[in-house]
Amino acid sequence: MSLNQEITRHIVDEYLPGTPPEELADSYDLLRNGVVSSLQLLRLIAWLGNHYDVPFDELDVTPDDFRSVAAIVGLIDRHRRSLGTSSIPAN
Amino acid sequence: MSGTLASDILAAARLRPAAVALAGMPGEDADVSYGELAALAERTERTLDTLFAGGRGPRGHRPLALVAAKTPASIALILACLSAGRPLLLLSPDLGEDTTATLVRRAGAQALATVDGGRLAWTTLPDGAESGPAVPEGTRLVLTTSGSTGVPKLVPLTAGALDAFTAWAGEFLGLDTESRVLNHAPLNFDLCLLDIWATLRHGGRVLLVDPARAAEPAYLARWVRLGRPHVVQGVPLLFRLLAEAGARLRGDAVRHVLLTGDHVPRQVRRQLPELFPHARLHNVYGCTETNDSMVHGFDGAEAADGEVLPLGEPVPGTRIAVLDGEHEVTGPGSGELLVSTPFQTPGYLAEPAASDRFRERDGHIWYRTGDLVERGADGRIRLVGRTDFQVKVRGVRVNVEEVERVLTDRPEVAEAAVVALPDPEAGVALHAFVRTSGAEVTGLQLRTLCAARLNRVAIPSRFHLMAGPLPVGPTGKVDRRRLQEHVT
Repeated sequence: MSLNQEITRHIVDEYLPGTPPEELADSYDLLRNGVVSSLQLLRLIAWLGNHYDVPFDELDVTPDDFRSVAAIVGLIDRHRRSLGTSSIPAN
Repeated sequence: MSGTLASDILAAARLRPAAVALAGMPGEDADVSYGELAALAERTERTLDTLFAGGRGPRGHRPLALVAAKTPASIALILACLSAGRPLLLLSPDLGEDTTATLVRRAGAQALATVDGGRLAWTTLPDGAESGPAVPEGTRLVLTTSGSTGVPKLVPLTAGALDAFTAWAGEFLGLDTESRVLNHAPLNFDLCLLDIWATLRHGGRVLLVDPARAAEPAYLARWVRLGRPHVVQGVPLLFRLLAEAGARLRGDAVRHVLLTGDHVPRQVRRQLPELFPHARLHNVYGCTETNDSMVHGFDGAEAADGEVLPLGEPVPGTRIAVLDGEHEVTGPGSGELLVSTPFQTPGYLAEPAASDRFRERDGHIWYRTGDLVERGADGRIRLVGRTDFQVKVRGVRVNVEEVERVLTDRPEVAEAAVVALPDPEAGVALHAFVRTSGAEVTGLQLRTLCAARLNRVAIPSRFHLMAGPLPVGPTGKVDRRRLQEHVT
């Protein structure tokens, strides 16, 4: 599963039960469309931090960085690149 | 028309005894003429005198009660009580046994009538110490509120209120001996004061819809096609059903369409001009406590375009005020609507806890409607929702009916209800229950749609797509309590 698919699956399971993962476009605005409220955003960031080992609290992030699946993937990718690792799965 | 409601009906019967008063479905049910109705009412009045000679206290008769099946026998009993000045409590046949017993006791009724095989059967009730307070002076009918929670409240209406209302309705709709008026509402509903009682007072013909078949589009369409009513009044459900029947309707005789009781979704409204090409459309605002208070006449263009119809002009003799707390909103702004009408109840019976719904201001008794309204810059008043439907989501006030309106405004949505449910994380979360109109639409698409038109906190957390119709209560409004059972 790619990083996009993994994050999409998590967001659908947690915040959009009943929605097929393929329906959630990478660019869908999770904040403007009320998928993730400001309260839930903290929970999402905590999950992402634990799951992908990203110390968000030490990084300079804003809610905009979590606006869509694409934005989240970009953020994690950037972080990994800065550490010299890659998000490309080894399938 | 020169006397009272009852005396005018009896006078119409003497003048034109063969004219049809109550019409049955052509080819199926028998008609009842004015002569037959008056004779039945007179016989009933003599029976009442025999059965209930006593029970007349210093403040008049104790009420009688009727489980109001829609039959000529029931209508004759109402007429007999109006004529004899006996107060009569009208109860829905759909109430449970316990609720019926509670209401009968609270009203202090001396006997309860049910219709059995077309005739009235009486049960005498004990004159216990608990037999309720006397009804206010001049009470003729006692109706009930149609609240979806708790025991309905008792709403006494005086002879003066009934006379004033039926006179206004007759003038407003131009009712006369040629008029044919469709009666869709159950007999215990306040809508019948117009459909049935104003019509009879003016010598017109009432087309009686059988309550058991009141939700069948084909049956209702047949009534409109064969009965050719001039006036059709109903809750949104009626018009949704008629729209479903569509072309089979032929409502070209209809002159007045009255939408009452609720916000009518634009999807339903926009079909009205085609269903009733020659009708004037009216958005009628009123409640059991005050009866019709404001009317907004509109045409086909406004039916299709207007997002929310204005409540319209106060009917003659009616006063309205918008209150935000204790502060009266005179310019643009929002608040609770208060009305004072010539048709209103003196107050609930045996409901001391609800006495704050009525308050005296400027020498008039005003009724706090519980409806939240907004007065726009154009001076027009529009309904925002029930004050009860106002919920706080993450600290922000949201009116769930506004969310429902955004959803039902879409052609893909047949019905929608939005309910605030407890949520472990957010405290309260909005759940939208949506039945689609057959079109393919997903929860995510509905979410995007809401996001385009609503404040972010008003976007429902969950969208539940429902396979069948949403559960409804007796007035055709969605039963929110039963919806909640879908969420576990």
